[in-house]
Parts: sequence; structure tokens; C-alpha cells
Amino acid sequence: MGLLKNWKIHLLCLLITLVAEGIGIQKFGIVVFLPLLYSLVIGLVISIPKLKIVTEEQMVAATDYLNISIMILMTKIGLGIGPNLHIIMNSGWALILQELGHFFGTIVLGLPIALLVGMRREAVGACYSIDREANVAIIIDRYGFHSPEGRGVMGMYICGTLFGAMWISVLAGMIAQLGWFHPIALAMGAGIGSASMMAAATGSIVAVHPEFEREIMAMAGAANLLTSVVGVYFSLFVSLPIMERLYGFCARVLRHDSEEVR
Amino acid sequence: MSTEKTMTLQEKIIQFLVVVIIAAVITAAGNILDGKHAFGPSLVGCFVLAGIAFAGAVLSYLPGFKKLPMVFWVSILGVILSIPGVPGSDWITKQAAEVTFLATTTPVLAYAGLSLGKDLGAFKQLSWRIVPVALAVAAGTFVCAALVAQVVLHWEGVI
Repeated sequence: MGLLKNWKIHLLCLLITLVAEGIGIQKFGIVVFLPLLYSLVIGLVISIPKLKIVTEEQMVAATDYLNISIMILMTKIGLGIGPNLHIIMNSGWALILQELGHFFGTIVLGLPIALLVGMRREAVGACYSIDREANVAIIIDRYGFHSPEGRGVMGMYICGTLFGAMWISVLAGMIAQLGWFHPIALAMGAGIGSASMMAAATGSIVAVHPEFEREIMAMAGAANLLTSVVGVYFSLFVSLPIMERLYGFCARVLRHDSEEVR
Repeated sequence: MSTEKTMTLQEKIIQFLVVVIIAAVITAAGNILDGKHAFGPSLVGCFVLAGIAFAGAVLSYLPGFKKLPMVFWVSILGVILSIPGVPGSDWITKQAAEVTFLATTTPVLAYAGLSLGKDLGAFKQLSWRIVPVALAVAAGTFVCAALVAQVVLHWEGVI
């Protein structure tokens, strides 16, 4: 079955990793750049179809390899949780309640911006959750792929895939440098429920607060586990109905066409 | 999009094993570039991580375990094997400590980057409007959760 037929992808991965780690962590003012950011950007540039360095088939294989190699990272995170179970138990309420921040934060910040740029029902799909695979399936199932909501969720999914990790890596680094939040609170915020975004956020927080590395990893891992297990059900049964009503209300206030106010 | 759906279970497991070994070697190579780690211990640490990841992956393919994603089973296995008192946990956490968290992220995002070229076409067809919204949605989930955590951790007296 030609397991090593995509050796080119692995070789490129090795070269990119060595270059990215060679550059190392760089800080410019409050902005922190991590090796993971360089490797993502270098990989993206190399895979630009016009350059013809990697084929479409190899890019599909790279997605498989991403899903496999990320399990090494998830194991590393998991191994950080066991020795720190006591801190996690002591922070039980914070861990549970901060999930509300994860689930409603997308709407709180996303919906006003969506209305501001003139988005209509697309906003329902784009802002009701972080829009990873399971959340996309929920919207497609309820509204259909070609509906405005379907366009919104797909647009958000593509954007999240393309620059979610880059954006969250830079943003988490800046917010950590501002010093408004305790590293443990930031770590819980990093438990976004998307493995690559969680890794990017956690990496930046660790780079700013290396003395808290163990606690940050344990908390981010615990929060991420909670978000990924509860997230799908929460987005289906709570976030989406609330999003619908909230959008309906906003559309009436903004006097959008009556047909759009379902 | 993935080729996974057309593969048999046996092919999936073999692919996982081969790729996880390659990824472990690449991670170990990247881990030594901070100047604080040697290749030997890094490689052992990476193979320990890869071994647990593989066991978790196989677990996730078992009937009855498929209801939850692979990420969940791999994470839970990691948690259990690191609880003090569990046989082998001392040795496992000690080996894994040779590999930094940041070193495990770099190859993963290199693979991610190399897969992104195929999504550029779809991105070009989107309206510009989705970009600020996407940034706000991702920022919102992170900042709001950190904010709630900050307040409640303070109440709980943890920070």
C-alpha cells in the first residue's frame, strides 16, 4: 500500500521543524512568535498550489499525518494532568464555569462584528460555536449546505483551519504579556476544543510564563478535554437555540427584511 | 478531506504506527535545538509518547469506544498513566519530561501547514466579511473563558 510513498511530506516536515526550532522563540514588544507559527506559515507557503512542490494528494495525506502526529501532543498534555490532579480538583468550579465563556464567547464577540460588517443569517452559522467539524455537521444537518447558515459555518470552518492557530498563537501571547490574567486562567481559556488552536494558545502562554509550564499544560489539557466532550452537545442544545433567538431579536431591531426573521 | 474513509481498519492502524514513529523521530530532532536536551533521551521520551498515543488510537477503534473521539481516549490514557501511584507512571512521566511541550507542537503544525494549500481555493471564494468575524469568534472563546476562569479562580482562592 506504499506507506512511504509520501516520504516527501515527512522530509519537508523534518526540514521545516529544524528551521522553525532553529529560529526559536522571538519576542517583539508584546508579540510572541513561536516555532509552531513559523512551521505553519512555511508549510502553507510550500503548499501553495502554484508552486507545484506538493500535490493535492500529498496535501490530503498531510491532513492524515496531522491527525496522527497530534496524538503525540495530546499524550504529552494528558501526561501533564495526572501529577496535577489536585490543582484541577481545587479549581473545579472555575473549570466548569469557564466552559460557559468558551461556548458563549463566540457569540458575545462574533455576533456584533458580524452585524457590523453587514452579515445576515450567515452569522447564525458563523458565530454559534467555534465551528469545527462536529459543529459544521450540526448546521448542515439542520439548515442544509447551501443555506445562508451553511455558508456561514463553512466560511468560519475554512478560516479557522487556515489561520485559527496563527491568530490564537499571536493573540494569546499578547494577552499573556499584558498581564491582565493569571497564567492558570489563560490556560483554561486555551482549552478551545480544537487541538491545533489549543496547542498554539498553550504554547504562547508557556513561552510568556515558563515558570508555570506544568500548571498551564495541565489546566489547558483539562479544559480542552471538557470542551471537546461537552462542546458538541452544548452547541446543539443550548448555543444554537440561543443564537437563533438572539439573531431574530437583532434582525428585528436592525429592521432586516421580514423574511429573514424566522 | 481525508483518505481515512477508504482504508480498512488494519490499514489505518498500520498507517498510524508508521506515521507516529516518523513524527516521534522528527519531534526528537526538533527537541534538541533548544540546546538543553540530548538526542538519546529525547528520542526515548518521544517513543514513550508515541507508544501511549498508539495504544490510545487502537483503543479508540474498539467497538463501544468509537462513540468518543480518538483525542479523548489518547488524552485519558495519558492522564491515567501519569497519576502518581499507577504502576510505571514515575518512569513514563520522567521520560516524557525530556521532551518540551513546544517541541511536540512544531512538527504537528508543519503537517498542518503542508495540508493547507488545498484549502486556499475555497478561501478565495469567501466574502471578505467572514475574516473579521472569524477573528472575533476565535478571540471571543479564548478571552471570555479566561475572564470567567480569572473571576472564579479568585473566588476559589486558587490564585
